[in-house]
Amino acid sequence: MKKYSVLVLIGVLVGIMALLAGYSPAVGAPAKEIIIGNLQDISGPTSVWGSAVTRGAELAAEKMNAQGGINGAKIKMITLDTKGDVQEAIKAFNRLVDQEKAVAVIGPPISNIGIGLAPVADAKKVAFVGSFADPRATVGEDGKVHPSMFLVQPSTVQYGEIMASYAVEKLGLKKIAILYDQSNAYAVSLMAPFKAYAESVGAKIVDEEMYGKTDRDYRTQLSKIKSSGADCVFAPNYIQGLVITAKQAKQLGLTMPFVGALDYAAPFASLVNDPEATNNIYFANNYSDSEPQLTEVRKAYKAKYNEDPINKVYLGYDKMLVVVEGIKKGGGATPDKIIEGLNKVSGLQGTTGVITISPKTHQPVGLSMVMYYIDHGVYKDLGRYVPAKHKQQQ
Amino acid sequence: MTPQLLINGISLGSVYALIAVGFALIFNILKFSNFSHGGLMSVTAYIGYVACVFLGHYIKDLPLFVVTLVAAALGGGLLALVVERVAFRRLRNSNSSVIYYFISSITMGILMENSITIFASSNFYSYPSFFPASVIRFGALSVAIPDLLTFLFSAAALVILLVVLFRTKIGLAIRSTSFDTSTAKLMGMDPNRVVAATFFASGVLGGVAGVFLGINYTLYPQLGQLIVKGFVASVIGGLGSISGALIGAVLLGVVEIFLIGLVGAGWSPVVIFVIMLVFLLLRPRGISGVIVQEKA
Repeated sequence: MKKYSVLVLIGVLVGIMALLAGYSPAVGAPAKEIIIGNLQDISGPTSVWGSAVTRGAELAAEKMNAQGGINGAKIKMITLDTKGDVQEAIKAFNRLVDQEKAVAVIGPPISNIGIGLAPVADAKKVAFVGSFADPRATVGEDGKVHPSMFLVQPSTVQYGEIMASYAVEKLGLKKIAILYDQSNAYAVSLMAPFKAYAESVGAKIVDEEMYGKTDRDYRTQLSKIKSSGADCVFAPNYIQGLVITAKQAKQLGLTMPFVGALDYAAPFASLVNDPEATNNIYFANNYSDSEPQLTEVRKAYKAKYNEDPINKVYLGYDKMLVVVEGIKKGGGATPDKIIEGLNKVSGLQGTTGVITISPKTHQPVGLSMVMYYIDHGVYKDLGRYVPAKHKQQQ
Repeated sequence: MTPQLLINGISLGSVYALIAVGFALIFNILKFSNFSHGGLMSVTAYIGYVACVFLGHYIKDLPLFVVTLVAAALGGGLLALVVERVAFRRLRNSNSSVIYYFISSITMGILMENSITIFASSNFYSYPSFFPASVIRFGALSVAIPDLLTFLFSAAALVILLVVLFRTKIGLAIRSTSFDTSTAKLMGMDPNRVVAATFFASGVLGGVAGVFLGINYTLYPQLGQLIVKGFVASVIGGLGSISGALIGAVLLGVVEIFLIGLVGAGWSPVVIFVIMLVFLLLRPRGISGVIVQEKA
């Protein structure tokens, strides 16, 4: 009896596998299809972003397919899960390239994954297009560009400098405390350029506090910041950490301005859901909600999913646009031609701005950021901001 | 600063306590560490949120908070019954080794967490503000209302549990089954019903914990991974001891807060796990002193 039940179990499993294999797009994909991989965190700690990027990229692919595809070939996107883990991401990337025959791969907005995958993508010679903002994901420690890695949003160096410039040069805040997640490459990589720029224009870092990935109480760190004499707090962290920070800062009566990164964008204020706790916050976003190029994507997203898109949806959309532009500029949908084409992407109108990729750094050039102010839970657009130093460089 | 740190520590500890008590309850009866409790907390946090969104059209503030809690608690209780039936009953009936319980609990936890990821991971969600003023101030000291409520609910949950365990028939049945399942069966008790009742109670606590975690930290599928803190608290307090879990949790919260102040957030978890290791090596029965061995 036991033997039979084991056999039945194996039979059922094999049956399920066979059924699933029937849906597998990898084996024998029609010639008129371009396989583009999508590597996102679908089940790990940043799965909300992974899903958002995936949906944005899908919307872009659907639109292009509806318009006839690329030279008659339809885009087929295959999504695999990184589980928020570098090792899983490497396995998934290899599978996308070796088995699914993806000609380019869209990457996650996670710097740790970008840095970890850079040598793998280079070895496979398949483009990996992501929003891993840590510059080490695109330019190695030796100063040489990673041939297969491409970034579609400002790097953390550009980003950190924009925020430091705004805090010190625009708002006149000279004594700065920093609160950051030490386990997050994005937060850590924003710190150095922020500090360097702020100190170069006369500001002083009066306190530096950190927290860990699993910590949920920052009141000790916030109390230290409160008594440090700081004028403002720089908090370049992920949204879960920022929500906790806002609630606990209010509890401690910390009313000084906070300056932060992308994650202060919506839905941050609605998640905290307390106008007093979401006040006096400045942050830089990739786009302004009022910019016309967002309307079409927002409308399509709302129609399909019945909710408002978060900023990672737009980044996902732009990543697909950039890959397709790479195919067009390179003159073919093969990995080498796409890499060649991505080096030529210039003046591409994306949802987050006009994208030109530097062949020297594989990072976008000239992408400015839009500064926002959160006033008692209400987002106020302060316009695009470029530091004086960046203007001189342009 | 120190009294405020103490308040902060107790409030963090009360979050851990809600997790640890539900965790300890299952260990107390079945003698295994039920890590599926984390996944259950994630699911119930979303159950509470869905109830809150639907009922938010009709009621507000405190009534909405109470109804949300009840919905999550009932959802948690029912879900725990399903978990017990699917993941553990066959193992119990076949007197399986404890390692299978452990694997089964981890599997169920991942299954529940990933189910939530599939259905609710396209955006972040949060509960509405149930209370107009979210902080109470006493001079220079301040206490957040959700923290205060978590503390009160943890204490109330313990009292209710102890009353049920020591003053009711089902409590007697649970304790008897915990002591010796075979003899309890010979005495006419139905172990399946007793275990199901225990899981239901644990699920109710998981539901309440899920709502408080959601209120404090927003909703995301991995919310239940705080189960690790509940486990550490249970080890310090004494695995299987309900009052020990509460003491261990509050102690863990206070120590964690003071350690961040003393050695910084980087070193704090290192010291916490060294403390846990010391307890496991020198006093495996924890603070409460209850000697419970893993089910074999």
